[in-house]
Amino acid sequence: MPLARSISVTSLSGLEEWDEEFDLEDAVLFEIAWEVANKVGGIYTVIQTKARLTCEEWGENYFLVGPYMESNVRTQVELIEPPNAVLRRTIDKMNSSGCKVYFGRWLIEGSPYVVLLDVGFTAWSLDRWKSELWENCGIGVPWFDREANDAVLFGFLTAWLLGEYAAQCEDPPHILAHFHEWLAGLGLVLCRQRHLPVATIFTTHATLLGRYLCAGNVDFYNNLAEFNVDKEAGDRQIYHRYCIERAAARCAHVFTTVSKITAIEAEHLLKRKPDIVTPNGLNVKKFSAMHEFQNLHAQSKARIQEFIRGHFYGHLDFNLDKTVFLFIAGRYEFSNKGADLFLEALARLNYLLRVNHSQVTVIAFFIMPARTNNFNVETLKGQAVRKQLWDTAQTVKERFGKKLYESLLVGQLPEVSKMLDKEDFTMMKRAIFATQRQCLPPVCTHNMLEDSSDPILTAIRRIGLFNSSQDRVKVIFHPEFLSSTSPLLPMDYEEFVRGCHLGVFPSYYEPWGYTPAECTVMGIPSISTNLSGFGCFMEEHIADPTSYGIYILDRRFRSVDDSCNQLTSFLFQFCQQSRRQRIIQRNRTERLSDLLDWRYLGRYYVSARHMALAKAFPESFVYEPHDPTSTTGFRYPRPASVPPSPAHSLHSSPHHSEAEDEEETYDEDLEAEKDRVNIRQPFNLPNKNKSLVEDLPEKN
Amino acid sequence: MSEANQAFVTLATSDAYCMGSLVVGKCLRRHGTTRKLVVMVSPNVSREACLSLEDVFDEVIVVDMLDSRDRAHLFWLGRLDLGVTFTKLHSWTLTQYTKCVFLDADTLVLCNVDELFEREELSAAPDPGWPDCFNSGVFVFRPSLETHSRLLEHARMCGSFDGGDQGILNTFFSDWAIKDINKHLPFIYNLSVNAIYTYLPAFHKFGHQAKIVHFLGRNKPWHVPHKQQPFTEVPQWDSNRNLEKFVNLWWAEYYSHTKLQENESHELQDAEPIEQLDMLAAAPCSTHVSTLPHRSPTSAASPTTPPPHPHSCESVSQAEDREEKIPSELLGKLTLDASSSSTCHQLEDTSPEPDVLSAEDSEDLEKSEQQEPQAEQKQEEEEGEEVLGAEAASDTARQEALKENLENRKRWEEGRMDYLGKDAFENIRLKLDEFLT
Repeated sequence: MPLARSISVTSLSGLEEWDEEFDLEDAVLFEIAWEVANKVGGIYTVIQTKARLTCEEWGENYFLVGPYMESNVRTQVELIEPPNAVLRRTIDKMNSSGCKVYFGRWLIEGSPYVVLLDVGFTAWSLDRWKSELWENCGIGVPWFDREANDAVLFGFLTAWLLGEYAAQCEDPPHILAHFHEWLAGLGLVLCRQRHLPVATIFTTHATLLGRYLCAGNVDFYNNLAEFNVDKEAGDRQIYHRYCIERAAARCAHVFTTVSKITAIEAEHLLKRKPDIVTPNGLNVKKFSAMHEFQNLHAQSKARIQEFIRGHFYGHLDFNLDKTVFLFIAGRYEFSNKGADLFLEALARLNYLLRVNHSQVTVIAFFIMPARTNNFNVETLKGQAVRKQLWDTAQTVKERFGKKLYESLLVGQLPEVSKMLDKEDFTMMKRAIFATQRQCLPPVCTHNMLEDSSDPILTAIRRIGLFNSSQDRVKVIFHPEFLSSTSPLLPMDYEEFVRGCHLGVFPSYYEPWGYTPAECTVMGIPSISTNLSGFGCFMEEHIADPTSYGIYILDRRFRSVDDSCNQLTSFLFQFCQQSRRQRIIQRNRTERLSDLLDWRYLGRYYVSARHMALAKAFPESFVYEPHDPTSTTGFRYPRPASVPPSPAHSLHSSPHHSEAEDEEETYDEDLEAEKDRVNIRQPFNLPNKNKSLVEDLPEKN
Repeated sequence: MSEANQAFVTLATSDAYCMGSLVVGKCLRRHGTTRKLVVMVSPNVSREACLSLEDVFDEVIVVDMLDSRDRAHLFWLGRLDLGVTFTKLHSWTLTQYTKCVFLDADTLVLCNVDELFEREELSAAPDPGWPDCFNSGVFVFRPSLETHSRLLEHARMCGSFDGGDQGILNTFFSDWAIKDINKHLPFIYNLSVNAIYTYLPAFHKFGHQAKIVHFLGRNKPWHVPHKQQPFTEVPQWDSNRNLEKFVNLWWAEYYSHTKLQENESHELQDAEPIEQLDMLAAAPCSTHVSTLPHRSPTSAASPTTPPPHPHSCESVSQAEDREEKIPSELLGKLTLDASSSSTCHQLEDTSPEPDVLSAEDSEDLEKSEQQEPQAEQKQEEEEGEEVLGAEAASDTARQEALKENLENRKRWEEGRMDYLGKDAFENIRLKLDEFLT
C-alpha cells in the first residue's frame, strides 16, 4: 500500500544554508552556565555533550564559564595556564583585585577550556553589587534566597570577566557570550547595561514560572495566554528570580529556547518570542557492525527476562517470549511526568487484552526514585528461588550427562526411564515445592517510606493491578535508579533501556525530554507527547512518526480522558505487533538517531550565534534571515516500505493477522538509503548546485 | 604599667560584624572599663558603619592589605584564603599599646573583665571542641612587630590546620596547653553558648558566673531577631533556652546603644540635613539605615547608624516586630533561669546607665515613635521658613524620593516586593530599556 510521500527535502526547517563568508577568526565565544563542570540537573548534559562540537568549530577561541566548586574541579578539571594572552592578562587582573578565577581544561569529550569563578570568595561584594543591581535595573534580591544571591555574584563576576577581557584586547574584539538559564542571566543584563562590546545569547531550557505552574496542577497550556505573570510569580515567591530571567530574555541580542513548546511558553510567560529554537542533541555512539543494537537488545532483554522469572516465581503462567516490556523513567513527578496517565492507560489496556483473549503479556516498569528502606524481602527471595532452581537443574543435568556418557561407553543406548533416579526426582520435587507462593508477586521492589501516601502505589491500588494471573498487564515499581551493582536487577540504565520494547513518557511538562531521545538513539521506540520538546521536534521532522517508533500523544488539544484513550490505543497497537514488525520498527527508530546527533542539531546553535554577532556588530557580520517561504521544512518521509501495519490498520480491525505482514515488502537497505538522503550531514557546507544524491554522506 | 597603654581590641570584617563589634564596645563601656577600646575594620566595611563605631571606640583602624606595600601585602596575595585571618593577626601591630585583650565581634561581655590585663601573652580559654587548643575568640597578647612578622612567617610556612586564625595561633603558641596554667583563662571568660547543651549540669552550676559569652558557629545573634517574646522557641537555633536568653541580652545591648545614638543624630541632622542626604545618595550601601526600626523616618538619613548584616538581613525582616518589642519587660525580665539569675543582677548592678535599660525609657521610646510623624512635619515646616520655598520643596521631594527608594529596596530584600504595583515588570522593563536603546 504505497503512501504519498515527500522526499524532496533539504534541511531543517527555517534553516537554509548559512552564509559561508562568516569569518570567526577574530571572534571568541564564552558559554556561561551554572552547570559548567557542576552537575545539578539537565543543563549539565546539554553543555557537556555539546562541547565537542563547539570545540571543533571554535577551537582555541571557545571558553566555558562556570562556578568554581572544589570537589568538581578535583574530579573533572585539569587546571592549566591560559594559553590565550588576553585571557591570561584578564584573569591575572581579576585575581589581583580580590577575585579567585581558575582556568583549566574540562576533562570531557573535546576537552574544552573552562574559566571557573569562585563565587563564595567574592561574597563580601554582594551588598555592593546588589545595590548596583537595584540602582540600575530596579531588581532586588531577598537575603534568604541563597541561590538567587549566588546568581547575583556569578552574574557580576561574569560581567566583570567579559568587561575585563574586552578591555585587555588591543583591537576592538568580537566577543560572543552565550548564557544558559536564569542563574547565569544576570551577567547578560550587566553586559548590556555596561555597554560592553559583547554579542549576547540567552537560552532558557524551561521557564521558572512554567515549572512552578505545572507542578501546581494548573491547566497550564489552555491558560497560557491568560496568566497574569507578575502575579503568578509573586504569589509563588519567585518574583525576583522571574525578573532576572525575564530581564535576561529582554536584554539578549538573541533569545532561544530548546523546543517549540517552550517557545510558546516563553512567549507568554517571558513576553518574548524566541528568535530561534535550539533543540538539544546527544553524542550518538555508532557501532561498526550493522544492527549491533538489535543484538544488544536481545542480550539485555534476556537479562530482564531472568529477573522476571525470579520476580514472578510461582506465577509464571505467561509466555516470556510473548511478553512486552514497557517502562517509564525519570524524576518522581507523578503528574508532570505523566505517570498518572500511564497507569490509567495500563488499566484500560489490561481490560482490552483480556476481552480480546490476547496471548501477549505486558510488564510495565516504573523507574522513579522515591524514599525507601531498601529492597523488600519478597523480591530478593524471588531471585534466590530462581537461582536455586537453576542450580538444581544444573546438578541434575550433570548427573544425567554422566550416566549417558557411561552408557555410551559400554556401547548401549541409554534407557530413558533409568536416566533419572528417585533421588533426582526428590531433589526436583523439593525445588518445585519451594517455588510455591501464597502471595502475589510484589508490585514494588522496595519497602517504601511513605507507602500509604505514595501516588503510584495509591493509583495501583485504585486500578487494581496487583500482578494476579488473570491480569495481562503486570506492574513493577522500582523506586530507585538502576545500578549494575544491584543484587536485584544488576543492569545500568542504558542496558535496561536496550532490553525493553517501548519507553512510555506521557509527560505534561517536559521542555526537552532526554529520556525518549536516549531511547531513540538506542533503537527503542517510545511514546512522548506533543507537550514535550522532543515530541514537537519529532512531529515536525517526520511525516509518519508512528512507523518510526515515535508515538506522539496529543495532550495539548485533547481532554485527559481522550489522551488516555489514545495512549491505550498506542499501547494496544504496539502489543499487536509481531516480532518481525517490532524488529523493523526498531531499525527505523535507530535510523532517526542521526537526527538527534549534535553534529546535526548543533547547526541551530551556529545559527543563533551568527544571528547574535550580526545584531551586535552589524558592520562586521551579516546574517540574512532566510525567507521562510523558500524553505519547505525538513520532513523525514514515510518509510519507503509499508510501515508496521497497526499504525494504519488502526481503524479497520484491532486484530491484525500476521499473515498480511509477511506479504508486505520490506527492504531495509533501500529504506535506510532513502532516509539517509534526507539528513544533510553537518558542516558539509552545501553547494547549492549539487544535487541531493551527490550530497550523500559517506557511511560511518 | 599604665592603663592608658592597654586596650580591648575587636575586629569587624563586614557590616554585619560591625553590629557585633558595636555591642562588644558598648558592653565594655557600660561595665566601666578603664582601658581603651580599639576596633579594626577591613576596607569593605561601609563608611557609615565605621562612623557608628567611632562613637563607641577610642580608635577605629582600617586594616587595608591592598594599600600596604610591605611583606604582609605580599603574604596576603600568596594566601588569599587567609584574608580575614590576616586582619586578625594584624592586631599585633598595635604597638601603641603594651598589652591588649582581643575579643571577637561575636562575643558579649557580661561584667567588668579588666582583670584580664593581669594575664600574660598568650592567655586564652580552652576551646569547647578540643580543650587542648585555645579558642581564639578571647585572648590576651602583647603587640609586637617582631611577633607579628614571626606569626606571618609561621602562617606562610605552616598554614592553618583549620583554615582560620585559631589554627595558626594554636600552632604558633603551641605550648599553651602544657606550659603555664596561668595562661589558661577560665572557661567563663569565653563561654561558648552554642556548646552548653553538651554539659548542661555544669552550665546550671557555673553558668551564672559567666563573664564573656561567645556566639560560636554560623548563626550569629544579629541573624536572629529576639522577636520571640515571651521567650518562645526559635526555630533557627537549637531549642536551647539559655542560648535564646543570651541572644536577647545581646539585642538589649544593641538597642541600648542605638538608642543613645538616636538623640545625638537628631541634633546632627538639624544642622545639615541636606549634606547628609547627598552623602547617602553617593553611597547606596547605606540604604540599610532605614531598616532600623525605632528610628524616625527622618533620622534614617543619619550616617551614624550601624547597618545590619548585608548578606542575610534577617534583622531587616523583623524590623516591625522589634519595633513594639524592644522593651519594657524584656529588659526588665531578662533572667537566665532561677538558678542562674545572678548574671542578670550583675547586668543591672554594674550598669552605669541604668535608665537605659529601664522600663520607663522604653515607654518614652514608644511615645517618641508616635510623635515622630509630627516632629518630622514640624521640621519640614521650619525648613520651609528658613530657605526659599521652591528649593525647600525640591529638597523635600528629593528626600522623599530617596527615602522611598530605600524603603523599596528593603521590601525586595524581605521578599515583599510590590509585584502588582510599582515593582511590576513593566516598570523594570522601562528601566532596562534606558540602557538598551
